[in-house]
Amino acid sequence: MADAVENKKNIAEGVPTVTLTIDGRETTVPKGTTVLMAARGLGIHIPTFCWHPKLKPMGSCRMCYVEIEKMPKLQVSCALEAMDGMVVLTDSDLVKRGRRAIIEFILMNHPLDCPTCDKGGECDLQDQTFAHGVDDSRFDFQKYRFTEGTEGSTFDDLRIGPEIVLNRNRCILCYKCVRANKEAFGEYDLGAYERGNIMEIHRAPGRQVDNPFSGNLVEICPVGALTNTDWRYKIRVWLTQTTSSICPFSSSGVNTLLYKDDHQQKIFRTTSRPNDDIDDGWLADVTRYGYQIATSPDRLQTPLIKKDGQQVPATWKEALEIINKRLNEIKDKKGRVCIGGIVSPSLDNATLHSFSKLIRVTLGSNNIDYRTQYRMLPKEPENVYDAMSARSFKISDIDDSDVIVAFGSDLVKEHPNEYLRIRKACNFHSASVYSVNPYRVKSADVARREMIYKVGTEEVFLNGLCLAAIEAGMAEGGDLKEKISPSTAAEAAAICGVDAEHLKELAAAMANGRKVTFIAGELVSRSRERLCISSALANLTRLLGLENKGQVSILPHYANSFGAGKLGLLPQPPEGIRNALTELWGAWPEAEPLTTDGMLINMKKEEVNGCIALGCNPVMLYPDREFARESLEKLDFLLVADLYETETTGLADVVLPLASWAEYDGRYINLEGRVQRANRALKPRFESKPGYEIVEAIAEQIGDKLYESSDQCEQEISRLVESSNVQPLPDKYFDVRPAEEESDEEYPIALFVGDDPHHSGHLTEKANSLFNFCGEAYIEMSSELAKKLDLKEGDSARVESKVGKIIVPVRISTTINNDVVFIPRNFSSTTVTALLMRKKRTDRVKISKVVN
Amino acid sequence: MMLSEQSIARMKEVVTKYPSRKSAVLPALTIAYRQIGHLDDDIYNEISEAIEIPAVEVAEAATFYTMFPKQPRGKYLIQVCHNISCALLGADGLITYLEQKLGIVKGETTPDNLFTLISVECLGSCATAPMMQINNDYYENLTRESVDRILKELTEQAQAEDEA
Repeated sequence: MADAVENKKNIAEGVPTVTLTIDGRETTVPKGTTVLMAARGLGIHIPTFCWHPKLKPMGSCRMCYVEIEKMPKLQVSCALEAMDGMVVLTDSDLVKRGRRAIIEFILMNHPLDCPTCDKGGECDLQDQTFAHGVDDSRFDFQKYRFTEGTEGSTFDDLRIGPEIVLNRNRCILCYKCVRANKEAFGEYDLGAYERGNIMEIHRAPGRQVDNPFSGNLVEICPVGALTNTDWRYKIRVWLTQTTSSICPFSSSGVNTLLYKDDHQQKIFRTTSRPNDDIDDGWLADVTRYGYQIATSPDRLQTPLIKKDGQQVPATWKEALEIINKRLNEIKDKKGRVCIGGIVSPSLDNATLHSFSKLIRVTLGSNNIDYRTQYRMLPKEPENVYDAMSARSFKISDIDDSDVIVAFGSDLVKEHPNEYLRIRKACNFHSASVYSVNPYRVKSADVARREMIYKVGTEEVFLNGLCLAAIEAGMAEGGDLKEKISPSTAAEAAAICGVDAEHLKELAAAMANGRKVTFIAGELVSRSRERLCISSALANLTRLLGLENKGQVSILPHYANSFGAGKLGLLPQPPEGIRNALTELWGAWPEAEPLTTDGMLINMKKEEVNGCIALGCNPVMLYPDREFARESLEKLDFLLVADLYETETTGLADVVLPLASWAEYDGRYINLEGRVQRANRALKPRFESKPGYEIVEAIAEQIGDKLYESSDQCEQEISRLVESSNVQPLPDKYFDVRPAEEESDEEYPIALFVGDDPHHSGHLTEKANSLFNFCGEAYIEMSSELAKKLDLKEGDSARVESKVGKIIVPVRISTTINNDVVFIPRNFSSTTVTALLMRKKRTDRVKISKVVN
Repeated sequence: MMLSEQSIARMKEVVTKYPSRKSAVLPALTIAYRQIGHLDDDIYNEISEAIEIPAVEVAEAATFYTMFPKQPRGKYLIQVCHNISCALLGADGLITYLEQKLGIVKGETTPDNLFTLISVECLGSCATAPMMQINNDYYENLTRESVDRILKELTEQAQAEDEA
């Protein structure tokens, strides 16, 4: 009874409830709860194989049998809804006999090859056979053995994807993999075929299991039927230790667990550490296999210094002395401001914050930026983009939003976990999803309506939405109409090339929605016009009162982009942050601040003579490769710290080996503003050092110790983070007058550059597993465009823009539209950023066939 | 492309009859195997394109139903009942006899592509056991002699058709 009262208190008012008795204890749960979940709420464990908390129940394994009074047979508790007055027994003799029989049946064809099976030690079947099964078998016939396609394999293994190995003999047909693949990920590369004894899980006809979430299938397999090649046969699970960490590649801050061996100083795999507020326990493959960037043997081993034009290994002492000497030379020669600091937004808070202090206080420069991969203006005042990209946003609020808009974002590539959330909102809560993009994307498969706007018309589309809402009388526009152009929704729709009715439909959905989530992605944040687009978005937010009934955000892209903004690693941080920093440090540089773009321009003009690049690779990622390279070459002194030798370290006077995120304790702020900790799993490899220590060592060498200890730095950060609140949007509408972009007939095709679904940034090609999924760049185009250009899948295409040309193999996509192509930026062998121009909004190219 | 334009058009028409696309999978599979004679991975992919359902779902349905043929079959499909009534009256021996006679084992097709031999569950003719079905006709109360005669007749019939 006490349980029932206690539980009822936790249920929101107005929710219908039922009260039932489980093993003599009464409990009250919301109507619709299954018996299994009700029992779990009481702490009663019911064994399962096929049940998964994030999937719809199936009831195929029958392991969760319970006895229910007045029901003639045992019932599967995972698929049975709790009813008022039910009396449930989970541990009666009948239930025990039932479980024993199920285990016996499951083991009928199971090979029991635990000693050679990689799952041994963490296998559900092993554990449950031990707990509920019998110790002998009554079956004396030959077990069924799957051998088709397994020639040459000792244990009937079959590789079904770049990283996945299938062993059908061990499979107990719980369908968890197939269900997760279809239901949660929307992928159709794995299926369950045949029936009876010969039923098997196998890849789809003519395909590989290589979707960007495929690693999860291995993790949820309750037996050793699915294993992944990066882990299998390397170590037994009981010989490993675990460290909790977070994903260093995504801004969601997905929680992970690193399995490592302290003796070997090696990480063996990453699994999920389910956090329902963030990831629901799903990991994208880039998160799962990305740990390999830490353990690759190619890591930088020692500091390198340039001697007679050659980079040679040096000790930390030598390197630091040279850094000090060269920085002093610049300071003496030119004054303080001619040093620039560029930093990666994937680094932890302490590194970012101390770096900021090093540049701003010790070196007295205001040139600091964490954005190397975005187009921007040389000087960017505090602006509405920063405000729109740091709204309060909760990932779990996506779940019960009834209207979800994904704007200018290829979600699967940019925010895989938010994409899964949106799928979940559709599956379980019938949310209406609107996908609005300049080209067709995979995530549109759940959309109720997909809208494709003309490349480069983002702000016109948003203005159109405002106008449609005003015209339909859904919102009071005030003076908004005079501030934006065009003047009617129909005109805006015509410019964007979308159906005016669809525009109206979306405006109505957002105006009438109970809870609206509006996500804008990289196509907004990367755009040269992002101030204009952000202003239009701010107008729309204010007009429809979206923040009162939901959330709007331009999602940051990297693990600590949000933190970098919050800690003021921008040339001109918002006033609140600037004041707080000035107070903490007692100083703020006078000099005029420059963005990455401004720094590169001034490097070219030799007005910025020194640069420190921490963990970033502007030559590869900056959207104008030649410009970035030429600028950096002009520097008197370039210091780069990174994990590997990169295009940028090649130009450096001093290169320092940076420790990876797994090699020190670091805190990161995810896109919700949640501060999370990644613990140290390994010692820094070779002679590398964590970013914080590197910055502190440089400062100390210069003679200005930044902090007494890293704790002091962390305390300063927490004060800073706690004191900075979400900026309220100004109580006015912004002028948004879209500028028309001239088209160029010679270069007719719009080029989009972004991450491959299996990669992120410039390091993941060093992860072997990810490299196996995708090991080289490609140009993705529609079959129609390919036909027009006389290209086939795998052909080499010559892609030319006004400033550069590259040759890449063709990949035909069924989703992308005909006037657009996509090339990933993650591969150092393909210099795609050489095609881009920093002053253009839209990149345009022409494509021709390479004839051998 | 193995599917004819006519088959594809019929599949697209079938899709419109159901509230959910997925429901059209079985009719589409039937249309495909009636035209081609059997089903395989390439055909699943073609059906998937025609009715806009992932190929894996088409393949799952096709393999679940044992009566969809997955390999090319001979001109005559011999289905011998092996269920209880026929088994009591010697179906096993009959199957062995057919295997020896045709020089193939159960599930195989003769090299001249004339006969495919399989055994099946009850065909609902227990009163006349043992029995078998060849294409659309029942052959009942079988003995070794009647099997000899039936095979001979069918072989001659096929030859006659070839010559004609």
